Amino acid sequence: MTTTDTYQPSAKSQAFLDSVDNAKYDRQVVTGLKKFIQGKVPEDMKGFYSEAEIAELVALKNTTRDVESRMPVKMTRHYFELAKNSQPIQVLVKASPKETFDLDGASDPGKQMDYSPIEGLIHKYELGLIYVASTCSAHCRFCYREELIAKKDVARPDGTIAPKGLAQIPELVNYIKQHNTEVAEGGGRHPITGREKLREILMSGGDPMVLGNKNIAAWFSALAETGIESIRIGTKELAFFPDRFDESFFDMLDKFHATYPETKLRFMVHFNHPDEFLQKDANGNYIDHPDGGLTWVPSTQRAIHALGSRNWLNIDNQAPLIKGINNDPDALRIMQRELKRNRVENHYFFCGRDIVGHKAFNLPIEDAWNILNESQKGLSGVEAHARLSITHYKGKTEVVAVTNDPMPGVAGSENGVVIMKLLRGAADAPLRGKVAIMGRNPEAIWFSGYDDRVIYDEAGLFAPAVDHSDLKLAEVS
Amino acid sequence: MTYVVGENCINCKYGDCVEVCPVDCFYEGENFIVINPDECIDCDLCRPVCPANAIFSEDNLPEEQEAFIDLNEELAQEWPNITTSPASLADAKNWDRVGDKLKLLIR
Repeated sequence: MTTTDTYQPSAKSQAFLDSVDNAKYDRQVVTGLKKFIQGKVPEDMKGFYSEAEIAELVALKNTTRDVESRMPVKMTRHYFELAKNSQPIQVLVKASPKETFDLDGASDPGKQMDYSPIEGLIHKYELGLIYVASTCSAHCRFCYREELIAKKDVARPDGTIAPKGLAQIPELVNYIKQHNTEVAEGGGRHPITGREKLREILMSGGDPMVLGNKNIAAWFSALAETGIESIRIGTKELAFFPDRFDESFFDMLDKFHATYPETKLRFMVHFNHPDEFLQKDANGNYIDHPDGGLTWVPSTQRAIHALGSRNWLNIDNQAPLIKGINNDPDALRIMQRELKRNRVENHYFFCGRDIVGHKAFNLPIEDAWNILNESQKGLSGVEAHARLSITHYKGKTEVVAVTNDPMPGVAGSENGVVIMKLLRGAADAPLRGKVAIMGRNPEAIWFSGYDDRVIYDEAGLFAPAVDHSDLKLAEVS
Repeated sequence: MTYVVGENCINCKYGDCVEVCPVDCFYEGENFIVINPDECIDCDLCRPVCPANAIFSEDNLPEEQEAFIDLNEELAQEWPNITTSPASLADAKNWDRVGDKLKLLIR
């Protein structure tokens, strides 16, 4: 096995990289609570946290319940403007003492470190996820990567304890080439893990769109050169700062596509609520667009149109269902409809993971299913593609159905059942499609809520080998 | 918020920071490097790599170095942007931890 410490772009890559320009952006980010506490924010932001709210947050400083230690606080001017007129947006971005009432949660949700062969890479499926940034323009309070954003110590399988680091191009390129060579030599399956070729990389973090165009281009071309077939970009920047999607960015995108037409791009965007992109009138109602549909916020509209007009890329939306933000079938229905109209596929909605502090955010799983199901009544088939997903250590799991009536002869089904289906097995795709059926538990916010009422489990979601007792009181550093 | 390059950079100017910055927000003077506060995204990658420990997040800047907040902002407007580490200064090591270097700053 050969390793190289430095990565040398090919001539083709270098020509592309030389053609890329960075631009300057005016995000007007407000980081942290200190400025609010000291009253040193712009005049129009001064009332964003009330005096009572500030007092509550200050009282938690230097305790284990400090809200900023659990998850840094951050907001852009653009998002603040939306938040002013939207309770759901405020819940998303405003720090609150409720986040640390209960610090129960896994310090490494999904035990991701078990799937991390090199720093900054999670290789669980035929798609790999890389951390390319450890921050975003603004921070969602419910972020499930809070252990990365807040740079918390995480235990690795070999026993070391350190914050999660970012991926580096030379290391990642070597890993991909090495892995795929071994797969090819193994006749299409990796001799040890049984996984197929690594075909797709998801750039994540944090938010890749905080990087400059040159930095993003370097990742794009390095990945393209390894033979990766498609690159996903996971970003919430369309909600936080849509002007990032400017001419210089699209110039880079177009040049990349011209240079590497066979490396497909997929933007995995993250809208939680239509208030993040729809205009409202003085009464807080959405505004019908004279030509059809609803009227969008101009900068978001420009960005989504520019992205959507490029028919060689895909755009998909994914969002968690969070208490106080989008546990609202009507809002979700409007969002799914408007996104589809604007070339954005509705991919997944998620049940919240078991992050530290998750009890403040997560809806009961059964409620989440009912809300999504309700929102999809009245949507056409193409608008209602989104499934409800909950990520198990073993893989992505769909919450397929929640029933209410007893099934004659089926013990445990007296109040109905919950049916889950494994969509992707972590290392073994053969488990795809396997189901688990459990008796109802309207209070369950995680798998552990069903441990005592499993009726049928061919997926092995509740098998003893997967220990759920690692939900421990997490230390806030 | 932003990150701020403080006094210990002066005459040391190691430049390790520039290599790790994901948004190229460093600007170069003759014996000092500054961060443009409008461009900094608070990613915290530069702070731990500075051999002189000269970089701070704005909130953690030592009180006696408060003037460096405005200084970074001001000089970032005047100086050229750098994206790769500048040539090292010959006696950088001798200047590490020498106090009172602000008066030696070459604008």
